[in-house]
Amino acid sequence: MKRLYIGGLSHTITQKDLKDRFGKFGDVEDVELRTRRDDEGVPYKTFSYININISDADLKKCLTVLNKSKWKGGTLQIETAKESFLDRLAEERQTAAEQQLQQPAAEDKRQKMLDSLSKAGVENFTMKAAVPGTEVPGHEDWVVSKFGRVLPVLQLKCQKGSRSRTLKYDPSKYSHNIRKLDRSTADQPSTDQPTPVSQLTWEVQGGDDDISKKRRGEFPPYEPPRRKKSRADAVNSQHAEGSARSKQTVDSVVPTETPQFTNGHGPPALHRPAPSRGPPLTLGDIDSDDEIRRMVSVQTTSHDALQQEEDEDKLEVVGLDFLVTSGRARRQQKGGPDDEEEEDCDSADTDELLASRKPPPPPPSQERQTLPAAGSINIADKKRKTKTKKKSKAEEDDSTDAEEDVASMKPSCTQQRGKSGKPSSQNQSKKMKVLPVVRPSSSSSESDSDEEDDDEEEELESADYSSDSDYEAMFSNVTRLEISLTDLQRLAEESQDASAEQDTKLTAGTAERPTPKKGTTPEEILASIMGEDSSEDEQQKKKKKKKKKRKAVESTPLPAFMGSRALNEKSGTEGRQKVEEEEEEEEGGEVKKLKLDHRATGSKISRQKHTETETSSESSEEEEEEEKEQEKKVKVVKNMTKKVETDSSSSSDEEEEKMKVNQSDRTAAASSSSSSSSAEEDEDEQEIISAKDAVKAAPPPDPHSESSSSSEEEEEKEEEKKQAHPRVLLGAKEEEERQRKANMRRLAAVQQRQKETEEHKKLIQGALANLDAPAAGAGKHIVFGSDEDEDADELQTTSEVTTPKKTLLQDSQSEAAGDEDDATKEKVRAKPSGPQLFGGSEDEEDADEEKDGSRFDVRPEFEGRSGHKLMELQSRFGRDERFRMDSRFLDEDEDKEEESEKKNIGTEEEEALEEERKKSLSILQSVLGGSQQTSSSKTAGKTKTFRDVSALHYDPSREEHAAFETKTDETKKESKSARRKKREEAQKLPEVSKEIYYDVSGDMKAVFGQTKEDDVAVEDEKENWDQEEEEKEEEGGKEEQPTLQSSPLSADPGAEKEEASGFKFSFFGDDTETGSGETEYKIESIQAAKVSWQQDPRFRDSSSDEDEDEQEQQEEEEEQSNAAAKTTDEETPKKTEIFFFHPEDSRLTEGPRLFFQSSNLEEQKEQWEERRTELRQEYRKKHKDARRKLKSSLKS
Amino acid sequence: MRPLTDEETKTMFEKLSKYIGENIKILVDRPDGSYCFRLHNDRVYYMSEKILKLATHISRDKLVSVGTCFGKFTKTIKFRLHITALDFLAPYAKFKVWVKPGAEQSFLYGNHVLKSGLGRITENTMQYQGVVVYSMTDVPLGFGVAAKTTQECRRVDPMSIVVFHQADVGEFIRNEDTLT
Repeated sequence: MKRLYIGGLSHTITQKDLKDRFGKFGDVEDVELRTRRDDEGVPYKTFSYININISDADLKKCLTVLNKSKWKGGTLQIETAKESFLDRLAEERQTAAEQQLQQPAAEDKRQKMLDSLSKAGVENFTMKAAVPGTEVPGHEDWVVSKFGRVLPVLQLKCQKGSRSRTLKYDPSKYSHNIRKLDRSTADQPSTDQPTPVSQLTWEVQGGDDDISKKRRGEFPPYEPPRRKKSRADAVNSQHAEGSARSKQTVDSVVPTETPQFTNGHGPPALHRPAPSRGPPLTLGDIDSDDEIRRMVSVQTTSHDALQQEEDEDKLEVVGLDFLVTSGRARRQQKGGPDDEEEEDCDSADTDELLASRKPPPPPPSQERQTLPAAGSINIADKKRKTKTKKKSKAEEDDSTDAEEDVASMKPSCTQQRGKSGKPSSQNQSKKMKVLPVVRPSSSSSESDSDEEDDDEEEELESADYSSDSDYEAMFSNVTRLEISLTDLQRLAEESQDASAEQDTKLTAGTAERPTPKKGTTPEEILASIMGEDSSEDEQQKKKKKKKKKRKAVESTPLPAFMGSRALNEKSGTEGRQKVEEEEEEEEGGEVKKLKLDHRATGSKISRQKHTETETSSESSEEEEEEEKEQEKKVKVVKNMTKKVETDSSSSSDEEEEKMKVNQSDRTAAASSSSSSSSAEEDEDEQEIISAKDAVKAAPPPDPHSESSSSSEEEEEKEEEKKQAHPRVLLGAKEEEERQRKANMRRLAAVQQRQKETEEHKKLIQGALANLDAPAAGAGKHIVFGSDEDEDADELQTTSEVTTPKKTLLQDSQSEAAGDEDDATKEKVRAKPSGPQLFGGSEDEEDADEEKDGSRFDVRPEFEGRSGHKLMELQSRFGRDERFRMDSRFLDEDEDKEEESEKKNIGTEEEEALEEERKKSLSILQSVLGGSQQTSSSKTAGKTKTFRDVSALHYDPSREEHAAFETKTDETKKESKSARRKKREEAQKLPEVSKEIYYDVSGDMKAVFGQTKEDDVAVEDEKENWDQEEEEKEEEGGKEEQPTLQSSPLSADPGAEKEEASGFKFSFFGDDTETGSGETEYKIESIQAAKVSWQQDPRFRDSSSDEDEDEQEQQEEEEEQSNAAAKTTDEETPKKTEIFFFHPEDSRLTEGPRLFFQSSNLEEQKEQWEERRTELRQEYRKKHKDARRKLKSSLKS
Repeated sequence: MRPLTDEETKTMFEKLSKYIGENIKILVDRPDGSYCFRLHNDRVYYMSEKILKLATHISRDKLVSVGTCFGKFTKTIKFRLHITALDFLAPYAKFKVWVKPGAEQSFLYGNHVLKSGLGRITENTMQYQGVVVYSMTDVPLGFGVAAKTTQECRRVDPMSIVVFHQADVGEFIRNEDTLT
């Protein structure tokens, strides 16, 4: 047979294809097809191994034909492969087995040897009374060693050096403690049939859950550790062990791979399909899936070539104002399922979760509603009293006081009853039932308390009870589940491992088992409902079982074994529930674990007992049950003797009797059990829910806890589901026994109840005595608008508002809603885990607590120095509300004085420090380069005080507020000038022109002279102007300057006014330059004016001037009296012409003169010709010069 | 123990300003009381006035440490920040760098921050700018100097150094004996 490797197959190939293909060459025995896939599941390589019976020739042929041939899109690659390792292993084993067959011969030899040895006086390789070192007669190689042992002398080969020699090893000289090899054990591996080869390989299941993923090497992305709630931390510190366990159990709840664990034995529970999990469980799974998906995607992407880019993308760049927030908050921001998970994981939120997840009530539980709460009525009184203290008691579970616990328990019991009677409560319970995942209801708190309990007896009792209850619970389910003994054993072992202490206790205590009840018919259920008390009792029992320790705490000085009932009654279920919830909140999964442990231990104990009594009956469950019953009977008898039957008046008794009747009526004796079981389940579920919440926070599951918990849970579930189903009827015997038991329990319960009531009364009295005083005081005083009371009222109202259900229920006097109340309460305010001093009734409690809280607050008015004073003042009046001091009573002046004194006292050191600070600040300034205001620390402190910007008002009297004033001076100046300009432009243009008109003159001096003559009014100004002009002329020596000057002046009239000389000068400089450019032209015209056109303004044309003129005119109009007027004198005339004439315009008189020749034509001619020649010469000269210059420049 | 000289103050402030910029002012000029820097054994301590007064009763040779040590002056009169100053740098840091959880440990063992470990960085970080290093959960881990600007950080290969290590909280364990 050959094994061939065939590579290069297409992905679509099947085993049959291969078989057909290679079948031609030989007999194909086995085809192993493998496909390699990349991360995304896309196959990239397919190959196979085939085992084929083929001759060498055929193989050759096959290789030549098929190797490297194309087949279905792939090139075949065929090679001979090594034999599969499994085959080889199988072969080896076979050979080994064959070898063994030959052993008998050796065996014979050995036997002979032994015989000969025994002949020589050796028995079992020991020779008595033989001196060490003596040879065994007849056996040279055997020597008597120390302690008379007969040992062989060994010839050891020594290969040291070139030649090998043998060493003789005499054991008598060396060995002191040679161990005899047990042949059976030594041979074990070979003789024992090893696991068959076919089972050596396995495949990791491809589940989507966390664990299987991890097994496959896929780990979720890192998640920063969640911050645990402080409360949880505290709990952990208290019960580190317990918490760890709880976590394990929690995880175990998750439906991962329990079947594998239970593998061979196959407990029935596992056969059932995993029931639909409640939201909490699935939630965790979903989250993990998401995470995994994300992780996978990340992984795949990371392999891409674009890795770097991705990295870049991942790199977050944050603004300077990035606020550092807690990691958790940011995670929440990201959104998605993670957030929810986180929220869910908070152990503190259990109540909320509970409330939110309550599913609608299931139909079967409706029957309960019909039940009259007979018990509740009776208990109403008790309830009332106990109510007030319930809370405190519940919280004080940990406290070792048994009495108190008992008292608290009572109310809780009553509450439960009320619950059952009322729909709301029923709803709750039903809801609880509905929750898919059933967990042991044992209250962890109880267990804790037990541990703490000093009373060993109590503990034992409780343990017994718990064990019983556990057992009961288990076996009530058993009928349906058929748990095998092995399973039980396993559970027990696990539990043992987990809780060694408990086990010891349990074993010590007598294990009493309630009779197992099989099958609950609907009728039975009804009966159970009718007998509420009994059912409750049973429930309580079960609870107790689960919460053994708790009960122990609660159970006061009960004799060793009271019916579970007594225990049940003692511990009010309601109170327990409350306690449980609270505790669970606090302790998280710890409770769970304990419960599980208890259960397991219980079962274990029962088993142990069984084994003791009947070693043979271990296999059969029924036998065990019988045993239990027997034991119970015995115990009952004991109880009877111990307890005195007291009043049967208590409602519970009556109800119990009823129950009995019902039971007798019904053939099924298990009714009570069934009812109890159902009740139990309810409670259990509640607990479970809480436990679930706790579980979320818990770390990965422990296999032990997992298995046990899961099986138990499933059992419970099944029970719930199939309560209605008919069950096997128990024998009449059992019935009788049960009845007896019930009776016993009843009696015990009655006693217990009486005790409880008494204790309650005491407690209540004490509590009321304390409570009355302050309450009465508060009510009687007339309060003058005291804030506190109002606040308190408000608080109360708010609390009430938040828990509307509660109040309603209270009105109806039923405490049925206890659970809900609790939940709501807890929601409303996070209760402190520790015991509370001021526990009152529920409502009052709220208010009280608020008050109390406020009482210890530091009032703001008492803070600081002044506050201290005030405090002293107040202390004079004690705590009387009427004389409450507030800040009004403070003398501010005094304070100020003191402060000032203080300041005065200010030591030199402080000053030095101040200086230092200033110095350092200045250095800081220099370092930073920025200008920073140095402020003394005090001022800095002031500046840092918060100021409401919206409330800021401008106060002109304060210097600081000067900053808010807008300074308009500068802007005014500018705007003025600008405005003025505009205004000037808009107005008075004509007037200006008028004035200017007078000024018009060609030659400055001449003009001035003329104007003086013409207009007297303007003379003064002109004179000024003249002076200036003259100065200018002297300076510049140029005649046009005035005109030039005027233009710049016009541009900035304001400036001209204020600092005329300065401006002029500056403009002068500029003007001179510009002027020099135009000199020739201007000179000409001016000269002309001087010479001939003296009086003719028109002739003084300067086409370029016209623009300027306009400006000038405007200016002048405004500042007629100012020097500006003078500047415009020459140019303005033209403008005036342009615009209009005044009636008395001098131009009108002078103008016509222009049209006449003032001198003779010939004279003019002569003059002109003279001038002309001069001009020509000049021009030529200039021309020459220019040419020369050009030439020279060219040359150079 | 003596107040810092101007020169020393300047050196120290210059160093501090690399990390917290003008926020030094908040250290010097605190609203909640007067705080000061003191030099003792070449180390600069930052303490409140109250503690300062208390410390005056202890002789110089017996005084090991007072207040918070910000750093020390080297023999060459340079100022070197110690990790103990982190408490005062972290809240006021202008430029921050967050390292990924995987790179936290590496940084805490005194290694530089590589690009691969860089989770987040303040924008506009200049090269050689003093930065405070945080974990992704915003726990200050230490401080260092940016080896690359923010823009460069985007581009560089994953194994290049982004932040030079200067001090990390691991020193509290590693240098327990010398940290005062």
